[in-house]
Amino acid sequence: MLIAENLGKTYETKDWSGFLRRKCTQVEAVKDVSLEMQKGQIIGLLGINGAGKTTTIKMLSTLLQPTKGRIDVDGLDGVKDAMKVKKRINMITGGERMIYWRLTARENLWYYGQLYGIENRLLEARIQKLLSMVGLSDKQDIPVERFSKGMKQRLQIARGLINNPGYIFMDEPTLGLDAAIARELREYVKDLARNDGKAILLTTHYIQEVEELCEYVYVMDKGAVIVQGTPKELALMGIENKVLCLELNENHELLHASLTDACMSIEKDCLILWDDKNKTYTITSRQDMSGIVTRVLLEQQAPFRNFYHQEPSLEDAIIKLSRRGA
Amino acid sequence: MYCRTLYATFRRNFIIQLRAYPKDFFIGNVLTAIYIAISAFFMYHLLFNGQMKDSFAAYAGTTDYVSYVIIGNCMHLLMVRTLLNVSRSLITELREGTLESLMLAPFQRVQYFLGNMLQQTVTTSGEVAVMLLVCLPFGVRFSGFNGPAALIGLILSLISYFSISLILAALMLYTRDTYISQNTLFAVLFLICGVAFPVQYLPQPLQCLARGIPVTVSLEIIRNSTLGGMGLAAQTGSYVRIAVMSAVYCAAGFALIKRVESAALEKIFG
Repeated sequence: MLIAENLGKTYETKDWSGFLRRKCTQVEAVKDVSLEMQKGQIIGLLGINGAGKTTTIKMLSTLLQPTKGRIDVDGLDGVKDAMKVKKRINMITGGERMIYWRLTARENLWYYGQLYGIENRLLEARIQKLLSMVGLSDKQDIPVERFSKGMKQRLQIARGLINNPGYIFMDEPTLGLDAAIARELREYVKDLARNDGKAILLTTHYIQEVEELCEYVYVMDKGAVIVQGTPKELALMGIENKVLCLELNENHELLHASLTDACMSIEKDCLILWDDKNKTYTITSRQDMSGIVTRVLLEQQAPFRNFYHQEPSLEDAIIKLSRRGA
Repeated sequence: MYCRTLYATFRRNFIIQLRAYPKDFFIGNVLTAIYIAISAFFMYHLLFNGQMKDSFAAYAGTTDYVSYVIIGNCMHLLMVRTLLNVSRSLITELREGTLESLMLAPFQRVQYFLGNMLQQTVTTSGEVAVMLLVCLPFGVRFSGFNGPAALIGLILSLISYFSISLILAALMLYTRDTYISQNTLFAVLFLICGVAFPVQYLPQPLQCLARGIPVTVSLEIIRNSTLGGMGLAAQTGSYVRIAVMSAVYCAAGFALIKRVESAALEKIFG
């Protein structure tokens, strides 16, 4: 298990404030972040730009040293035992970095395998397995500079798995990829957690990815975790209003007045919108209006196609939670 | 098993160099060195009229100015290329976007730098050999060649260049600059370390500075072993000096890199 406790990162920036005077400013990029990663679990780390997600990932992956707090990876200290921890972790980022463009796919994996000290026989077998997994077996001897963006990203995944890490940090892995390749990558990620038992920490701006992949989500803002929970819990946390949709078969003139009166009697400032094209009422209110709407429908004997609570959107919730702050 | 990072980095660089600069880079380097040799030849014959001051023979231990300059330039080429390749290695990784993935791996820095250096040494040795062959008609002569002394001198020279490159690597990583720092250093080393003329012609303070740089001792050893005919025993003092200097520079270089690396990574990844 990977445990991060009260992680903090403060940077010192120096700016010229006079001819020969430099002013030191301390910037707290990450404050008291605590999180846990368990094998076989995909965790999301969300937040708007500048929330501190990437700094947190870089501390967890030993690239940056925390100024505060503790990282424990299977009983190893993330700072003192960094060289041992490096063998158990890896990171995959979006974009086309982290691979040598002039080397072939196979040569890239071979080089990284050597840096991790993997035994040659084992390394050769692993390279072939990974290349086959990401569908690059037949392209293994082509220099990476001739690869498409999607192929480069697939090679990145293979590189991130070369040391068979227990913990993988994915920083926007589908950034800039088209929908089909992004979906393919999401399948790899799912497989890695479900079938290979990897613990994955995912940062992304695509909420669909979080909803599809993550079992647990941490939302960061201004360097701190402001809220955490399952995607469903978070979506519910973000909503202040309930949205009820009523789809009619045809216009029903009497219904409008009764519905408005009934809803207003419960909540004066509820919002009732009529979409003539789709013949749909959308009722937005703080209180649950389903009971009263059912009663009105029965009274008026209005024929309807559908009647449901609109599912809260995780995206809306995250934006609201981030704006609301801690 | 123990030198895997070294071998892997050596092989990686070799493949990259072959794919990136198949011939032109090699030819370009040889040509630059040949121009320098030819200019020394014409300077000696047309400007100096084949005559050198008596002091030159006293300081250089030879009257053969052309060989003196060509050997000096060969070693300068080796030094420049070693320094360039080793000291720019991390900053190149940063520019190519591979520094993060490299730093994620638990590799030994010394092996990584040595791998970079050895690949460069192999390539540059080829360039130097071609350069010497081309310079033979211009009068380069190894009048007093002592093989074992030259070989030991060459190995110690490469180690000393490696040690300087570690300090330069720390400087480059900290400033994230390659051009100003490297070109300034190369110009200074060319001027004060005795590449084209003996250091004794320099003002006293610069002579003292030159004596503290291993390149000066390296040039002395190589010239004494190829032009002066001096053997291992006669140069023991110089060997010890260059070895001690390299050890000091290496220790300082690794200490600096360790310190600068974490500060630089904070700047880069933060």
